[in-house]
Amino acid sequence: MQGFWAVILRDLKRIWAEPFRLVSGLAQPLLYLFLLGSGIGAATQLGGGQYLQYIFPGVVALSLLFTANFAAISIVFDRETGFLKAVLVAPVSRPSVAVGKVCSGAIQALVQGVLLLIFAPMIGIYFGPLQLLLFVLFMILSALVFSAMGVAVATNFSSTEVFPVVLNAVLLPMFFLSGALYPLNTAPGWLQKLSYIDPVAYGVDLMRGSIMGKFYYPEWLSLAVLCFVGFILIWTAVKVFEKGEEI
Amino acid sequence: MSAIIEVQNLRKQYEEVEALKGIDLTVEEGEIFALLGPNGAGKTTRLSILATLRKPTSGKAMVLDKDVLRYREEIRQEIGIVFQEPALDERLSARDNLMLMALFYGIPRKKARQRAQEVLELLEITDFADRAPRKLSGGQKRKLELARAIIAEPKLLFLDEATLGLDVDSRRNFWDEVKKLSDKGSTIFLTTHYMEEAEVADRIALIDEGNIIAVDTPRALKERVGGGLIRLDTEDNEAVLDWLENQNLEAENSNEGLFIVSNDPSTLLPDILSNIEQKVTRAEIRQPSLEDVFLKLTGRSLKNGEAEEVESAKNEWMK
Repeated sequence: MQGFWAVILRDLKRIWAEPFRLVSGLAQPLLYLFLLGSGIGAATQLGGGQYLQYIFPGVVALSLLFTANFAAISIVFDRETGFLKAVLVAPVSRPSVAVGKVCSGAIQALVQGVLLLIFAPMIGIYFGPLQLLLFVLFMILSALVFSAMGVAVATNFSSTEVFPVVLNAVLLPMFFLSGALYPLNTAPGWLQKLSYIDPVAYGVDLMRGSIMGKFYYPEWLSLAVLCFVGFILIWTAVKVFEKGEEI
Repeated sequence: MSAIIEVQNLRKQYEEVEALKGIDLTVEEGEIFALLGPNGAGKTTRLSILATLRKPTSGKAMVLDKDVLRYREEIRQEIGIVFQEPALDERLSARDNLMLMALFYGIPRKKARQRAQEVLELLEITDFADRAPRKLSGGQKRKLELARAIIAEPKLLFLDEATLGLDVDSRRNFWDEVKKLSDKGSTIFLTTHYMEEAEVADRIALIDEGNIIAVDTPRALKERVGGGLIRLDTEDNEAVLDWLENQNLEAENSNEGLFIVSNDPSTLLPDILSNIEQKVTRAEIRQPSLEDVFLKLTGRSLKNGEAEEVESAKNEWMK
């Protein structure tokens, strides 16, 4: 159990040593929200202000998705520098390492997500206590799933140059398909169908629903899909770590 | 003394190469045991199996009376390793690195801090405790690696080519520390392809191409070569070699000159010198070194191809 905490502690120490990364990580979601959002919003029937509110949960999801996934680069990095070997030869169970990595990625993502919440009142979103509670709960769930995604992918890579390229190639389509920037119910049929296999779509829908009070997917379905996908991904990561004894 | 490592008929097959060809090995508690051989001989593979990082294809390996396949975490609790490559977080301070490792070994937080300090003091590296490894010299980094490896007071310490790339002074310094640890009762299992490093060991296993070719104390190994070696350089080594062979002398021509093995080199050398016609540019008598032992047992030099071998050791880890 202590190994699990040590994995997290070590990642957080590193973040603490480079706080600039947290701030610079906010740039991308804010660009989407204020520049892209204002531009596209003005051309929609909703109008600028309302569109910003509409995409806000999507932008939070974007931030969680990219931060959580890219946090997993530390695994690839540790493999490259050799630090991972020192950890793997310590008496820490493989599941603790894998789950610790998932949690630490989720924590990093959540810090960013919470920073974004500060901008909510600026675009006219005022959370009630229950709304906020639900929204944060869904953020946590999404962050864990996204982080598990990153860890599951990262365990298979040994180059810090290839990993980000692959990650971008996977994450961008997932983000665009998720309905983060447009409503899925008016999207073309093929796109709607595709979104069913995109876990990000369920996370976005849960967060948006908790603000708007209207969900696109049934809530139980979204929760079930996220839990299921998260579980499968963590299991995969643990398996790879266990097999990866032979480093 | 009792056995701390016991290996029986251990094999390791990579896709196409057989890295270990069924070896037996026993390491006693408290000794310094060295695997000496050219890189690519299977040293790292062997150490990795004993350190629970790789699984053997077949055979049995017991470390601290526990099977390496079944009791991985229990064994990990009791061992420390210095790898060939660095295994530190380059951005955290030396002290934080040590504390973190202590936590990974299940040492409670407060005690971990204390233990980090103890190790820093033991290895006399408190001066750069608050610097990150990337700001340290090669020798300092290696000492920090050693500190990391002994943070949880392991009963058994593995050193895998631990001084690769260090200058002579740093290497000597490193081995002095290792000897101190050994004096305190730690068992040390090391691999190296530097002969002079293997000299610190109580016993040495000479290995070549996945086989153990000899296991003994450094002194006993050297005695196998017999009296000593004569090294001779002349204006025409080929011709002298012919002459030597005609005299039924055991000689070999290498790029460092002619080497003649003899039971009594101090009598033989003047004898040779007075009998050959070629001009002699150099003549010396050498006590046998481990290098000579290796040369005698395998017919190949330990030194040759060192540069390329270093590469292959790296590749071995990558697998």
